Amino acid sequence: MKDPKVEVNFEKRKELEKVLGADQVSYCYQCGACVGDCPSARFFEGFNPREIMLKSLIGDFDDLISKDSIIWKCSNCYNCYERCPQDVRPVEVIIALKNIASQNETSPKEILDVTRRIIETGYSVPIVSTSNRIREELGLPPLKKIDVSELKEILKPDKKTEKK
Amino acid sequence: MKMAFFPGCMIPVKYPYMEAAIRKTVPPLGIEIVDVEGFTCCPDPIHFKAADNLGWVTLAARNLCVAEEAGLDIFTICSGCTETLSEASYMLNEDKELRQRVNKRLARVGKKYNGTVKVKHLVTVLRDDVGIEKIKSTVKKPLTNVMVAIHYGCHLLKPSVFMKVDDPDDPHVMDSLVRAIGGETCRHKEWYLCCGRACFDQNLREEMTECVLDSVKKMDADCMGMICPTCFSSFDLGQIMLARKKKDSEAEVNMISPVYYFQLLGLAQGLKPEELGLDRHKIKLNTVLEKMSLKN
Repeated sequence: MKDPKVEVNFEKRKELEKVLGADQVSYCYQCGACVGDCPSARFFEGFNPREIMLKSLIGDFDDLISKDSIIWKCSNCYNCYERCPQDVRPVEVIIALKNIASQNETSPKEILDVTRRIIETGYSVPIVSTSNRIREELGLPPLKKIDVSELKEILKPDKKTEKK
Repeated sequence: MKMAFFPGCMIPVKYPYMEAAIRKTVPPLGIEIVDVEGFTCCPDPIHFKAADNLGWVTLAARNLCVAEEAGLDIFTICSGCTETLSEASYMLNEDKELRQRVNKRLARVGKKYNGTVKVKHLVTVLRDDVGIEKIKSTVKKPLTNVMVAIHYGCHLLKPSVFMKVDDPDDPHVMDSLVRAIGGETCRHKEWYLCCGRACFDQNLREEMTECVLDSVKKMDADCMGMICPTCFSSFDLGQIMLARKKKDSEAEVNMISPVYYFQLLGLAQGLKPEELGLDRHKIKLNTVLEKMSLKN
């Protein structure tokens, strides 16, 4: 018989809890309320938010932050946030895992592309040559050129001198 | 009533006709649109948030500061923008430590988030501030006999703790706004299902989109009433791509047309279909225009 004892890697879990949005993860009592309304669980057999929470709880989530991890199948519908009786906000924990993956450069290329576009142009969508022509035909002003100088400044990591 | 207009990115860049519909239909309702200098992408709750949640809330806080400096509440027209700005406000108002941390970053550019600005999706403004009677008073051409299958999408309603638009399990806001302009609404079986657009898995996206479409097509509706531009992309171009990929000739003939609520409002206010960019949709709004005697 398999040994049912589970070793919790508290250090690893703490690492996750420090990421914005994942601070409530230890309150998960594995009820599964997040699964019932999860569209990704409904259409993809291997996706189960309760299991993602379990791996997060026991600090065994290396596979979740690796390349092509299942977490990217989350639809971001926020149903689990709505349903969770413990305020764990599973989707926010999944996003925290995505943040770790992004830091480790294992997130999909599209994530970095869109993020970079926002920082460099202020827009999430690429502006093409026809964009302003169509706007003009509809009687709309041309798209504003956005001053992004402030964005780069406020995205710099917290400075030690700024901390309490 | 003066409000700061937060246009976002997807609508002004990809679907400018939705913006045109807003700019033409909202002033008659007594709302003065103020274009405030300094807004950027909200930033988007799917990509940017996945890359850097703290950076995401910081950029959102900066946008909130821009409205605070202008002394105006914000109205949004995109569910994604509404989600970002509402969640960021909620986080910054609930978590004092986070607010302090974000304000230290904002101080580098001379800004400070004070928590004085409200963020409202335009449908909430219409229901709560403008009122159904006022909307009715602007109708010149009611949508008589037009059946609209509403698809709320996810981010307009959830999480309700900070979206505060409507009951996510039994929403009525879109239904009452469609009825105000003379149309009828129905709730299709999969009304609760996500369009799938934010899954990073093409098959999964398509399965969800297709399931919603199959459900809508069973309703005998004239169009699909949309409020989210991301859902719109799934059901306009997405519907065509899906039919082509599956080589489904029946689906290619039997398309259901998605339409943004404010375009329907525009038709009801007597605007021409071209003024609302309805000729630019991939799937044309034929049966609605026929019923309204607007088809050439």
